[in-house]
Amino acid sequence: MNFSRRGWLSVLALFVAALALVAAGCGGDDESSGGGGGTTEATGGGGGGGIEALPSSSCTAVEYKGEGDADVLLASDFPLQGSSRTQTIQIVEAIRYLLEQSNYKAGDHNVAYQSCDDATAQAGKWDSGKCSTNAQAYAGNEKVVGVIGTFNSGCAAIEIPVLNQAPGGGVAMISPANTYVCLTEGGPGCDATEPDKYYPSGSRNYARVVAHDAYQGAAVAEFAKEQGVTSVYILNDKEAYGLGVATNFKNAAAAVGIKVAGFEAWDPKASSYEALFRKIGGTAADAIFLGGLIDENGAQVIKDKVAVLGPNDGKVKLFAPDGFTTQQTIDEAPEATPGMFLSVAGVPIDEFKGKGAEFAEAFKPRLGGKNIDPYAIYGAQAAQVMLDAIAASDGSRGDVIAKMFATKVTDSYLGTFGINENGDPSGAEGAVVGFTIYKATDKLETVKTVSPKPENVEAARG
Amino acid sequence: MADAPLMQSLGRLRKSGLTALFGYALLALVAVWLIVNFAKDPKEFIQVGLIGLTNGLIFGLVALGYTLVYGILQLINFAHGDVFALSGLVASTMIVSWLGLDKDASVIAILGGMLLTLVVIMALFALVNVTIEFVAYRRLRSAPRLAALITAVGMSFIVQNVSLAMYDVNYRSVPSFIPRSEAFNIAGISYSWNKLAVVVITLPVLALLTWFVTSTKQGKAMRAVAQDTEASAMMGINVNRTISVTFAIAGALAGAAAIVYLLQFNMRYDTGFELGLIAFTAAVLGGIGNLSGAVVGALVIGFIQAFNEGLSWHTPGSDWTRSIVFGILIAILVFRPEGLLGERTPEGA
Amino acid sequence: MVDRVRGIELDQNLLKRFALPLAAILLAVFYSSYVDSLQDLPAIGDFVPSVNSMVIMIVFTMMAVGLNIVVGYAGLLDLGYVAFYAAGAYMAAWFASQQFDQWTFHFGSVGISKAVPGLHLSIWLVLLMAGLFTMIVGILIGLPTLRLRGDYLAIVTLGFGEIVPQFVRNGDNVFGFDLTHGTFGISPIDSPGFGSVGDSLGLPLSYQQSFDRAKWFYWTALALLLLTVFCSVRLRDSRLGRAWIAIREDETAAAAMGVPLMRTKTWSYALGAFFGGVAGAFYASFKQGAFPADFYFNISVFLLCMVILGGMGSVWGALVGGMILGYLNVEGLATIGSKFNEAGVHFDPTKYQFGIYGVIIVLMMLFRPTGLITERRHKQEIELGVADTPLYDVTHEGSDTDREAHND
Repeated sequence: MNFSRRGWLSVLALFVAALALVAAGCGGDDESSGGGGGTTEATGGGGGGGIEALPSSSCTAVEYKGEGDADVLLASDFPLQGSSRTQTIQIVEAIRYLLEQSNYKAGDHNVAYQSCDDATAQAGKWDSGKCSTNAQAYAGNEKVVGVIGTFNSGCAAIEIPVLNQAPGGGVAMISPANTYVCLTEGGPGCDATEPDKYYPSGSRNYARVVAHDAYQGAAVAEFAKEQGVTSVYILNDKEAYGLGVATNFKNAAAAVGIKVAGFEAWDPKASSYEALFRKIGGTAADAIFLGGLIDENGAQVIKDKVAVLGPNDGKVKLFAPDGFTTQQTIDEAPEATPGMFLSVAGVPIDEFKGKGAEFAEAFKPRLGGKNIDPYAIYGAQAAQVMLDAIAASDGSRGDVIAKMFATKVTDSYLGTFGINENGDPSGAEGAVVGFTIYKATDKLETVKTVSPKPENVEAARG
Repeated sequence: MADAPLMQSLGRLRKSGLTALFGYALLALVAVWLIVNFAKDPKEFIQVGLIGLTNGLIFGLVALGYTLVYGILQLINFAHGDVFALSGLVASTMIVSWLGLDKDASVIAILGGMLLTLVVIMALFALVNVTIEFVAYRRLRSAPRLAALITAVGMSFIVQNVSLAMYDVNYRSVPSFIPRSEAFNIAGISYSWNKLAVVVITLPVLALLTWFVTSTKQGKAMRAVAQDTEASAMMGINVNRTISVTFAIAGALAGAAAIVYLLQFNMRYDTGFELGLIAFTAAVLGGIGNLSGAVVGALVIGFIQAFNEGLSWHTPGSDWTRSIVFGILIAILVFRPEGLLGERTPEGA
Repeated sequence: MVDRVRGIELDQNLLKRFALPLAAILLAVFYSSYVDSLQDLPAIGDFVPSVNSMVIMIVFTMMAVGLNIVVGYAGLLDLGYVAFYAAGAYMAAWFASQQFDQWTFHFGSVGISKAVPGLHLSIWLVLLMAGLFTMIVGILIGLPTLRLRGDYLAIVTLGFGEIVPQFVRNGDNVFGFDLTHGTFGISPIDSPGFGSVGDSLGLPLSYQQSFDRAKWFYWTALALLLLTVFCSVRLRDSRLGRAWIAIREDETAAAAMGVPLMRTKTWSYALGAFFGGVAGAFYASFKQGAFPADFYFNISVFLLCMVILGGMGSVWGALVGGMILGYLNVEGLATIGSKFNEAGVHFDPTKYQFGIYGVIIVLMMLFRPTGLITERRHKQEIELGVADTPLYDVTHEGSDTDREAHND
């Protein structure tokens, strides 16, 4: 091998390229973690005392600013990169806020906190490998008594069984955002082995503070009926959440008397969906429902819908569930989104009452001028339930689970509700059962809040 | 197992009868499927076909880049798709941030801006591609062929990550300053302005390329080097320069393709990988190394994709599009490595 | 005098051949007992991988050693090795989970009630089945494609590597039958264990329910890796191994000397696939799930990068390359990133991990194509050139000299 002059030139050029990559990377990172309280900067003040930290490959350093040494560890698990980031960093920030308010104490326990990321930068969304690795890390760290998460139901389906079988009676898990029905309850719409296969130990360890997609499917179907929709074509991204909510919507639509013209998947890796919408155009459907996430090339789907079937306030309406309900959707397709309807669990941010409104007011300064996202309040609620469970417990994993299921929430951020034996919110009043429908303009504008009829929710289940 | 050349070619002959039969049966099935779909709704069929045509032209521009480089170096330049994606992302910045074009801009501003972007991006990425060849491939010209191929895979990852570093994971797009409304409507079959722009940009580029390769001295040198490097060097052709020119043209084509792509679609850092594979398949389908073959192959792929997603009678659907495309790739390589338009050479043996 | 010198030489040879590997194995076996004290070391402690990470590193290293058989020994570039990983993982998912709940069949399953529906075979058996099944997949892919020239073969394997994940993704409805459960993937997958017999011997009944889960998985992974390396070394020195190397160096000459090309190449494919399948099944059991999103092109290139970094054709190279890159992938880059962060620099190397692998690939190919640990024969090939053009490629006959001619 002779190192000619050109050889060295090549080395030089490659190094320049590598440097450029690093330099550009720094720039890019600054940009993405600039606003909204970066998640990676917070390295914590006091350190965790006797706490063994979760691996730094996905988690922040141990955050603990209370007195003495922390004796239990609370982890949160959200996709902190990609399109969901706008929502998830607010959830994480809300958890931090609550911990600071309580001085990192829950009852007699000193609670340290780590925020873990289940997304990869390459995919820009949650990653099954990361979910699995994270879950194993929680299960293997005996100080971890509770996990707040996940954001995506598909990730929850991976983590729940691991945490369920964790030594010491399993790890309690509570989600502010998972809406896939079959995580907690079975039924005709679920596999025969669901939800039991998520709980191999035979007892439950998972709860959520958000109404599942049977409610959302029913709410959107009722709203679509009101809008005069007669025939709907349903697209889904095949993921747990997207397929789940699409199925629930399909069932609910049939129940309220909307014809289902078709039910099909879109491939997130495709570049164009025009041909697909041509086909849909041929079915004469007057509405389209997108079950999935904005991360799944959703912006292109919306653009092509408008290009082929006309604007969303025209002949063919467009409905999308909470996987799309973020400002990001409008930012990525500003010309195609106007007029589309988006739904999300809960009431609009300005209609929260009592403790929820107080929280929103107090929390706002931490966001650096950004609008507060409803998920921040759901995150606060989930964290509150978990902290109360830890406070009431003797600090062992099993007891935290027991206390979590015994939770009775009264006039809290999302109103009043309990957790039933499946882990779903029950006996709810207030924000937790309603669904807000937004219409996209240059931002999300509230149209109305729908509380779906019980018979439609029942129908949506399958 | 007898492996004497004679025996193998005999074996291939015997096999080719069966293969051909199988192939024709498959083609016949596809034909029936197309005819039935056409009969069911001719208007829709043509409309979907037009989508395929437009996408096929874009694939064609990218496929040409693969085929040019392959023709001259016998190298599958994996990085090509990623150069395409990077050029598109840079073009989006140029259009949106530097030129500030949006849909309210005047026609002259749009035309001028587009032309300017096209020229700048094509020149810039011609340079980028030449640099890649100079840095990564030139030293390996005498190395085993797989060494260069592996390097190309490595380059592809590097370029992709430069895009990731510069543009993060989010999708980029340009405002639809070329409207997506109807340009013409003949008997209910419409074609939108932004699609028309694809045709308007692509056809002159193709014509220019054909003229360059067939009629200029440099083009002739390219063909000579592709045919026999050693002999052309003896005839006084500067081989290194010819290869650089080839990479420059390929880079420029990637830039042009990225801009027309951007007129319709979102892009992000990894768009180039998927599209690169599709384009490469198109190049192989048409007969790699064959310029018109690449365009024909790309159009075929474009049609297959659009028909698979857009027709209503017995279609596998968009879920299976990529599997179908790669299935074609494998089938072509295994059964007819010379491609649709290629001559049977010992290349693919 | 002469004898003494020879004695020393002999000793050194012994040392080199047995003592060093033995020491390495011993160090590895007891890793879990001293890892904690290593992690407490100042400065470098943070860079010491945990036992859990070691399991993942070893799994990927196993795949690298398997890929080395195909790429390194036989010189067939495989850009779709991830397909074998997928095949292995899904074998574990089919035969050790509740996926097929219409049947209930238990055979040697540990730690789960016999009433649980689905097929539950002992993981040890499943590992073997996964290897064999993947071998068949390798042969099926290999038979029609292996007569193609090197770069065409690479593309075809890439094509398979792309189709397999999509098939898995769409396989939730194969003519109405749920084969792969779509994007949900199949989880949970049963854990290995020694059952009640092992329990009485002090071995864990089921790894999953053991407090030493990580350790047991680690020791099992280590055993599998040692087995893979042993087989790989024996294969290299066997008649088959010599045939592979002959094909790699000069197909025409090899064929002329009576090496059956197709059969030999297919064997390399099948055996390389075997280890990929076993590793995939084991990893699925460790992760307790198989998900279509895990099997993408980048993994194939990641494995290839391990082989190239280590040195194509060298088992020890694949080991070293695999452990280095595996470490970077699982923990190293993230640790470096957090160090950057502590120093106040916002740079996340995990985001660019594949770019980094790309840089490694290009640099290695340009400046040290024989890898970190050079295999002697491969070095000769690089220096002297090989006839890597296939038997019938007449247009490029004697291409080495052709290409030299216009190199400068």
